[in-house]
Amino acid sequence: MNGDLHGLVEECIDRLDRGALEADHLRELLAQIPRADNLVQDLLYLQCSTTSVTSQVLGVQFISGGQVQPEPDSVADFPYQSVLEAMRDGWRVVQFPNMALLLDEERTYGLGCEFILERRSNSNPQGGGTGC
Amino acid sequence: MLTHDCPATLTDTEVLEFCKNGYLMLPGVVGEEINQRTLAYTNANTNHEPTEIIQEPWFRDEVLLNPAVAGAVRSLLGAHFALPNLMSSHRMETPAPAQGWHRDGGSHYTHELHYLQVFYLPQTCTDDMGPTEVLPGSHFLFATSPTMGHYGAIQGMVKTSAPAGSVFLTVYSIWHRRGASRIPSVRQLLKYNYWRTTPPTRDWRIEADFDLANAPYHLSGAPTFRPQFRDSRDSARMFFWLCGMDDKFRTMGGQGWPMPAKFEERPYGYPLAPERV
Repeated sequence: MNGDLHGLVEECIDRLDRGALEADHLRELLAQIPRADNLVQDLLYLQCSTTSVTSQVLGVQFISGGQVQPEPDSVADFPYQSVLEAMRDGWRVVQFPNMALLLDEERTYGLGCEFILERRSNSNPQGGGTGC
Repeated sequence: MLTHDCPATLTDTEVLEFCKNGYLMLPGVVGEEINQRTLAYTNANTNHEPTEIIQEPWFRDEVLLNPAVAGAVRSLLGAHFALPNLMSSHRMETPAPAQGWHRDGGSHYTHELHYLQVFYLPQTCTDDMGPTEVLPGSHFLFATSPTMGHYGAIQGMVKTSAPAGSVFLTVYSIWHRRGASRIPSVRQLLKYNYWRTTPPTRDWRIEADFDLANAPYHLSGAPTFRPQFRDSRDSARMFFWLCGMDDKFRTMGGQGWPMPAKFEERPYGYPLAPERV
């Protein structure tokens, strides 16, 4: 059997309709399904100029496959220029900027508007799918 | 306490740049013979606090009281500033990952400048050797070190890569870290503080045409991570404090002084203006 997961399931359904589905076909399909216990959480910290997901990214830290990844040398090398770009690449926002820390103009706290995003990747440090 | 006095070497513009950026680099001001002598000393004394080096006349005269360094310190800390009484050695075998961003313990979040944290590089430090990285303007950016540990690449950060004999002066509270290094080396860096002993006053090199009302207080070229124009207010306040005019400092907000803009003549709200605004 060849193809992506969706295609493999369709192929199994077709075999089932034709009465040609065997246990090995299902085992092959099963082997293609990522096991949850092989995945690790990736984290992406993005410090931005405002609380909008479209605002410019000013700082970045990336943890993937259980490893802190090397930092980009320049802004042009940042993996994403906005939170929205990261979301389009499969990242899910798990924390929005803490507004309580942004309401006092007399004192600024840290780098300001920080988003924290996550996704799951293989434990291989080079894993992590697309993007950064 | 050992104190020192000498001619101030910084101009109004240079003092203001220090207020805005929180650091000042003096490239290659210490001679190579002294750099080599310092390296021989730190290689023989590898502990983290080789404070005894302060007592070495050659080190005191050529490094601590180096004319370019002492002149800058005199400009920022005033007459009869106190010499360092502690020496820290950040000798580091590389390659190594980047250190976490931090402000050194004891940092105050203030426009007052009572001491300077100074770094001396007795050897050339390249980008690959993990130079200290600083974030310009961050001496006004409040954060506690434990909450900064997850910060990585930050727009506007500066690597202090510099030739041997370079010295850079910082506001104590500036955000900094040891950068990531990529090559085998022994990175050498000495760190020490000078202290103010006299009240601040504008006794550095005054520029005849320096206009306090229209001076460029804005930190340009990098994000400030602060509300709009707040950086101008912060650096103006530090500059006024250094001038001994802290009691005269006030801002009216709006589009008034020290907001950066192309005003006709003088911005409204300039605190030394004779009229209401």
